[in-house]
Amino acid sequence: MTGKPTTCGFCGCGCALYVQTNGNQIVTVAPSQNHPITSGRLCIKGWYGPHSILNSNRLRTPLVRTGDQLTPAPWDEAVGTVASAIRDVLSRRGPRAIGVIGSARLTNEECYMLSRFARAVIGTPNLDSSCRFYDASLIPGLLQTVGIPASQVQIPELPKAGSMLIVGANVTEQLPQIGSRIAEAARNGCKIVVVDPRTSRLSAFADFFVRPRPGTDLTLIKVLLKTILIRDMYPDSSKQLPGFEPFSHSLGSVSIDRVEEICGVSVEAVSEMAEMLAENPPTVVMFGSGVLQQANSTEIVKALADLAVLLGGSVMPLRGHNNAQGACDMGAVKDLLPGYMPLSEESSRRKWESVWNCRISAEGGMSALEMLNACRSGDIEVLLLFGENLALSAPNTEASMDALRSVKFLAVSDLYLTETASMANVVFPACSFLEKDGTFTNVEGRVQRVRKVVPPVAESKSDMEIMADIAKALGAELPRDPQAVMDEIAQNVPQYSNVSYARLDEEWGQPWPRNEIIPKLALLGSNGEDTKQRYMFRLISSHVNFPHRTGSMSRMIHILAREYPEPFAELNAADAEEMGLRNGSRVRIFSEAGSLVRQVILSDAVPPGCIHVPYFFGTNTPNALASYECDPESGTPVYKACAVELEAVE
Amino acid sequence: MKVGSAFILDKARVGEFIESLGSEMQIVAPKRQFGGDVAFAAIKHPDEISWDYGNDIHPPKRFLLPHYEVLFRYKTNDSIQIEPVMEERPQAIVGIRSCDVTALRQQERFFCSQICDPHFESRSKNTVLFSLVCNQPREECFCICCDSGPYLFSGYDVQLTDLGDRFLYEVGSEKGAEVSAPREHLLANASEKDLKLRDSIWLNADAKFQTTSYLAKAILFISANEVPQSVWDQFGAECFRCGSCTNLCPVCSCFNVEDTKDGDGAFTRWRYWDSCQFAGFTREASGYNPRATFGSRVQRRFYHKASYQYITRDGRHGCVGCGRCVVGCMADLGVPSVVKRLRRAVSEQAKLEAPA
Repeated sequence: MTGKPTTCGFCGCGCALYVQTNGNQIVTVAPSQNHPITSGRLCIKGWYGPHSILNSNRLRTPLVRTGDQLTPAPWDEAVGTVASAIRDVLSRRGPRAIGVIGSARLTNEECYMLSRFARAVIGTPNLDSSCRFYDASLIPGLLQTVGIPASQVQIPELPKAGSMLIVGANVTEQLPQIGSRIAEAARNGCKIVVVDPRTSRLSAFADFFVRPRPGTDLTLIKVLLKTILIRDMYPDSSKQLPGFEPFSHSLGSVSIDRVEEICGVSVEAVSEMAEMLAENPPTVVMFGSGVLQQANSTEIVKALADLAVLLGGSVMPLRGHNNAQGACDMGAVKDLLPGYMPLSEESSRRKWESVWNCRISAEGGMSALEMLNACRSGDIEVLLLFGENLALSAPNTEASMDALRSVKFLAVSDLYLTETASMANVVFPACSFLEKDGTFTNVEGRVQRVRKVVPPVAESKSDMEIMADIAKALGAELPRDPQAVMDEIAQNVPQYSNVSYARLDEEWGQPWPRNEIIPKLALLGSNGEDTKQRYMFRLISSHVNFPHRTGSMSRMIHILAREYPEPFAELNAADAEEMGLRNGSRVRIFSEAGSLVRQVILSDAVPPGCIHVPYFFGTNTPNALASYECDPESGTPVYKACAVELEAVE
Repeated sequence: MKVGSAFILDKARVGEFIESLGSEMQIVAPKRQFGGDVAFAAIKHPDEISWDYGNDIHPPKRFLLPHYEVLFRYKTNDSIQIEPVMEERPQAIVGIRSCDVTALRQQERFFCSQICDPHFESRSKNTVLFSLVCNQPREECFCICCDSGPYLFSGYDVQLTDLGDRFLYEVGSEKGAEVSAPREHLLANASEKDLKLRDSIWLNADAKFQTTSYLAKAILFISANEVPQSVWDQFGAECFRCGSCTNLCPVCSCFNVEDTKDGDGAFTRWRYWDSCQFAGFTREASGYNPRATFGSRVQRRFYHKASYQYITRDGRHGCVGCGRCVVGCMADLGVPSVVKRLRRAVSEQAKLEAPA
């Protein structure tokens, strides 16, 4: 092993890996000992992922559809087919009939180029990324409170926290390096309070594990806030914070006494939570997809950020994807330009019009989910997907697959022939993170270098090259050199002003600088009424260690796939007995949106009335059970706490 | 040149020595990487060696048992044709630490006794170990409790002790004598004074350990099955099953094999490091898993490290005190802290069971 490390492309921790190769093959993966996050450790994905990514069933050439068949085609033919589909729609319907969706897997340079490609080359406002399905609600939630849509605390600082509140996150399995720092904090005496309807593996390190009913986090956090407020448990200085009055006023109608009835958590328990957090500064408030994919997710994010701000602590949103932070920073999200400049503001549009030499319309675009609906209605005729297996990441798998089948023209770039790619008109073979240069930004906002350690597999190209190829066929030139793109980003995106490849060749990446932003307290709206009474059970979905997100990459890793040979669901023994189910029984889980079959494992980690359905590989995904219902403020679909019903399968 | 003889290698002549050695074999040595990292790597020039280093977090076992290696390639078109892949390039691992030398000797016992593994054996035969005594153990090191360092009385081919401006050069095996002989003109005889200086440096190193681990007691408790199951289960609850402990352990030797398709009826049989901490490692074809719980898998790991059954078979316990599991564990299940917790748990249990 010699030379420079690259950055792992699995989760948002952003470990530094040394990858040693022999020809086109990886012979060793090793952690960095001195990298501030990695510290000589890797998780199972880091250890085993890279080799498998090169040796799995990768796409080798572009594919073009003729009738029912996808057949190998040369690059120019595939690119030409996409370009003419785009030109055709542009002339008949205009740019609004085209949608572009990116992925939090892509590098910053690629996400930035995606923004430019969609807004400046095609001219469509319909640009979004997979973040819409995972964690987009933290953007409005944090912008209105702590002022930056990112973590306020760095991973190596976590062991110094006095207390932590961790809500709806399977951290030890999903973001192991953060889980590792939580374990270290616990050994240092930090008070760890975990909120999750299901007992997760964090319980080994928790001082207090609170299990509210699924979908009731907002009430619980509001009651917690009110308890801290009326018992005067916050620093005096917090009274001077902007928004303090309206914030405290907005909690006026919250009834502490109803917390037991609504959340199944006693008033005493909330009191204990309040004491542990308020009496042990500094407090770090963390939250994951359990919060970010719930109904009213933006409102819960605001409430949690309010809690951190009120106690003078900090927030750390837990984003699972390697580059979720960077994809949003680069403006690959609906209605935002790079650097979180709102599309609705004229000054932002002027700025990017001058950088990209184009016209940017003020009219808002569609979210990824709205684009799926528009595929069905025909409002979108061409959908371009870069690196996202949308069929599995979108809710209501059946409806989403149907939408992808019905769109007039679908082009997909991916490593594999995913469920989504197999429905496409044109498929481009894309490079993995091991085969291209660029940067990823981890959950702390740390911008880190991704290095090409092996040549591209077969004919695959980076997403940046694929975009540039399509642009060229449309008569526009886009850069192909990641370094030049980063220089352009550094010049124009304030958070990235210090980033350069030269600097990243000298030292580890740094979290993006935080200018003096004064946090404020956001007022909290009232909860929506819970109307889902038709089905008996509540769905708890989770990302367990081994399958990662939709599993496009991780299902190819033999060691990971081997861990769980069959998809399972966990059920409380009392519920199982009532239904006559045993360990190993098969059960059909259904909702108004869809259904799936799983093997039952009895577990007292799951409360009565709930079923825990982990994400697995392929179409057997709990997303199938979710509807197109969204958090109103962010458009993030509601995947958590869906009402479901069970029936035994003979 | 006799086994057991001691020489002086002047630091001014180390470059020449390494260059001369490098003309006959690949030199693997500690080399500066990025951001302060040091790792063993093939070097082309003696100046690339970073003599002033602690240890590589990634154990040098990978030069004998690679993380990923091709065992053979085969074709299934007409008839099955198998093409074995053997590594026969001679190599010297220069600067390897005592703990890792001890671990590699254990690996040799595992792979080359009873059923001999030709791939490992070929690499092992072609490898010569120039170990470097640790004058300054790292914070997490506890080889002193494991009969594996900071210096060795046997097991090395050549052992170097840094005496300041020169190395004491001790020949420990026939192989060591063989590679030293052509370069004897670069070596001078060691004096009594040199050996005395060596002894005082060794004593000094012994006194610098910050971590200790009373492994003997853990061996007793584990072998006698005195550790309450609840203790293993608690360890299991804390384990992240990342696989770092076994991948980073220089003694761990478990592997998996997997075939990958190369196209046109051609396949490659890979061997790579596996971990007893994964459920899939012990699950049987029927679906039954004798180590189904996390706790039972952590227990298995420590049985393999410390139970008398393995000590009898392998000639020593399975830990060399390199401290990598201390650094690499996502929780705190490195050997010293587990040993400490085992001792406490067993003695507390004994107190409970003592007659009033």
